[in-house]
Amino acid sequence: MPKRVTSPREIAAKESKQILRRAIRFALDTESAAVRHNTRSFNRSRYQATVALPDYDALKDEARRIKEDSLANRIALVQQLSESVTRNGGHFLFARDAGEACRYIQEVCKSHHVRSLVKGKSITSEEIHLNAALERDGIRVVETDLAEFILQSADEQPSHNVAPAIHYSRERITALFRRKFQTDLPLDTGEDLTRFARERLRKDFLAADAGITGANLVSAECGSLLLVESEANIRMTCIAPPLHIALTGLEKIVPSRHEFAPFIELLAVSGTGQPLTSYTSVFRPPLSVPVVDFRGAGSAIREFHMVVLDNGREALAQDARLSEALYCIRCSACLNSCANFQVLGGHAFGGVTYSGGIGATWEAATTGQLKLAHFSDLCTGCSRCATQCPVRIDIPGLNVELRSRLNHLVPLSWAARMLHLFLGVPPVEDASAQQVFFAHYDRAARWGTMFAPVSNFAIKIPGTRWFLEKMFGIDRRRHLAPFPKKTWVDVAANELTAKTETGQVPEVLLLADVFTNYGAPQRGLDAIRCLHAAGVRVRLTKSLPEGRAALSQGMVETARIQAQALSGYLATENAAGQPLLVVEPSVLAMILREYRKLLSADSFAKLQSFTSDLVEFLSRHLAQHARDPREIFDIRKFAPGPKLFYHRHCQHRAVSDPSITVDFLQSIGFQVTCSQVECCGMAGSFGYKKDFYDVSQAVSEELVEQWKAAERANGAHTLLASGVSCIEQLQGATRRAVLHPVELLAQML
Amino acid sequence: MEVVSRSPEAVRDAVLTKAAGKRPILLAEPRYISLDYFRLLQSVEGVLSHPRPDDYRSAPVGVTDAFAAVARTGSVCVDIGADIAGYVSLLPRLHIVVVDIKKLVFRPSDLFRLEPFARPTFQENFVFISGPSATADMGPLVRGVHGPHELHILVLC
Repeated sequence: MPKRVTSPREIAAKESKQILRRAIRFALDTESAAVRHNTRSFNRSRYQATVALPDYDALKDEARRIKEDSLANRIALVQQLSESVTRNGGHFLFARDAGEACRYIQEVCKSHHVRSLVKGKSITSEEIHLNAALERDGIRVVETDLAEFILQSADEQPSHNVAPAIHYSRERITALFRRKFQTDLPLDTGEDLTRFARERLRKDFLAADAGITGANLVSAECGSLLLVESEANIRMTCIAPPLHIALTGLEKIVPSRHEFAPFIELLAVSGTGQPLTSYTSVFRPPLSVPVVDFRGAGSAIREFHMVVLDNGREALAQDARLSEALYCIRCSACLNSCANFQVLGGHAFGGVTYSGGIGATWEAATTGQLKLAHFSDLCTGCSRCATQCPVRIDIPGLNVELRSRLNHLVPLSWAARMLHLFLGVPPVEDASAQQVFFAHYDRAARWGTMFAPVSNFAIKIPGTRWFLEKMFGIDRRRHLAPFPKKTWVDVAANELTAKTETGQVPEVLLLADVFTNYGAPQRGLDAIRCLHAAGVRVRLTKSLPEGRAALSQGMVETARIQAQALSGYLATENAAGQPLLVVEPSVLAMILREYRKLLSADSFAKLQSFTSDLVEFLSRHLAQHARDPREIFDIRKFAPGPKLFYHRHCQHRAVSDPSITVDFLQSIGFQVTCSQVECCGMAGSFGYKKDFYDVSQAVSEELVEQWKAAERANGAHTLLASGVSCIEQLQGATRRAVLHPVELLAQML
Repeated sequence: MEVVSRSPEAVRDAVLTKAAGKRPILLAEPRYISLDYFRLLQSVEGVLSHPRPDDYRSAPVGVTDAFAAVARTGSVCVDIGADIAGYVSLLPRLHIVVVDIKKLVFRPSDLFRLEPFARPTFQENFVFISGPSATADMGPLVRGVHGPHELHILVLC
């Protein structure tokens, strides 16, 4: 048994999978409840706030463009900023690394005989471990953001960008303050705790010799800083002490104050769901306000130092596959909308400094150590964050790239080689046996189906699950669906010849994705029956792997080979560009989203133009032909009744609007309650893996709660989900049958 | 927020009502509203325009003007550049802001589109103030952290 974790610091640096596992256990045991409550509250607020911004998408485009242009011109902007700061009467340093930045700030403090200083929240200062450097010089460093004040009191690393102490409940803060400050003052409410901290820190503000802040953005043209906050600690830090030092990464520089505008409107909305936070300051230090002599040290002149930090950012900017991470404005929308982050927080899903899916690239880039990005394994690729990022960073794409690079740190094991041999695919890249197994699910499934009764019997033999767990890390608690005797392609042959009437138009191509083909052939048949009933002629494709499973293992080359093979096959098979329909949403999103990075622009555009979700096609098709869906789908034939609880697939929501399905079902007469969670927690192979089984289960709890609440309020509901893994997850958690929309529709024919 | 008519009496009365007897009141000389509207307020006992360090420490009320207001976000834009407005809007528990209705814009980005913002020397230091200082770091939302606990906006119409 590994030693019990006593402090989050012990598991901060995710140097190995073993530390990641310990961190997950620690977070689920001690921090999960507070993190769940706080992230979900931010998440709800953001959805409400963004709906109220009519030009939200245009703002995102503008913000993205400003970041792209600014990063492209970064060298000129740094130069211009240095001139502006000097012109304003300040001092400027471009620090190549953490050491240089710390040494400069230490020197400035030394030359001003700084004994105590106050700090605004600065993740960048965490990155360079500035506090430790200053404290070594005997300087008293006081964190004044209340979350940072908690972390400093507890000696912990941040667990979230906007709310670094998001893992602390009110009760735990009370206990911490009692222990740390040995006080009898009342500390039993949020008000008490805030008053205690305020009174302590007010003295520190007025006595401080220097103030250190970060910046949300910096204008190169005039040297202005954008500072976004609610507590007023940053304003105090800038104005009360005579010496102000601002530390910021080079990616924060934009051409002028005009470029602040879209970010001002996006930051608070994306972060906390407020229209604006209490204070959004645009300051050009040194401030012109006279220094008030609170310290009794006599009159003083204001002085300002601006430190712009590289520390791996320049290398990141030149790394074409990861450079997008530099657009991050640290709003945390991605953390709050991440199902795994919601149950773990940044102590497990994060490193020493940076948290969440976006944090993995940052942690690796700013430390220069790829292995510290191991927490990127917690990104399942569900893509919910990508739709919520105000600068449209493809965070799942970054994590796939990191995983691929991490895979290449370890040479292909003998077990992985044997598995390749057994599955009959030559190895094209380094990966673990587990990853090879999941990436070539179709191969394993083909064997399983070919020898179906025997393979299903084999799975039930005691020892098989033990072997699968030891060998491939497939958690033995997870139910494995039995292999069918015949695949979708096998069984469809009869259906297609029997039912196809010549002359039916239009003709569509139905993608026999490997998950439905080997996992749910009956569902595939239902899809064909629904289309036939709507008067659509169907051709079923061959069942080829599309690369989703490989991509989620970080096996980018395998995914690319599979994507190109499928795309090539479809180009010949579907030269006419007929609609290509998909029943499995993870495959749909693979083609419509992930293929952008795997195929040529031309092939991608072609596929994108004709690929769509089957139910969405059906809904459009019937509307175009002015046909009432009730003529085809008779709700009276569905015995369980009209109440549905529908879990919308995470990846589906990244490429389309599942409310089309909801509207379609409502037009047939159903009452649909939708889950309000980001992901079911299974996320393809993620929930099957022993390392992540508990995370997966923790994520599903909220979904199950919402389903139970719907049943308590309105009686029994039929469970509906569209993804093969959502269906598995929901069936496992509810012990009830879960239908795919096409299975529901087929029951009404 | 409250609407106040354009007269020195109305401004004085509105501020004194909001101050509810608390003294001293720190007054930062207005720069975007005619000083005439503040003459009567200035002559009230306990209204200080030239505070000493101890006054900043203890004064319960601060009054400033604002050079703009933002309708959609309910913000006022306070210039903290030259005089004492930076302290007066920050240290007391109650901050009263007087803003002219003519300075109302719809959304924050509109402010940057105003002609003077083309000059980098215009409004070198300012704050969008959208409420009292607040935090959710200690569990529930608490109003009143390091800055004011209350914000009152008086709109001159």
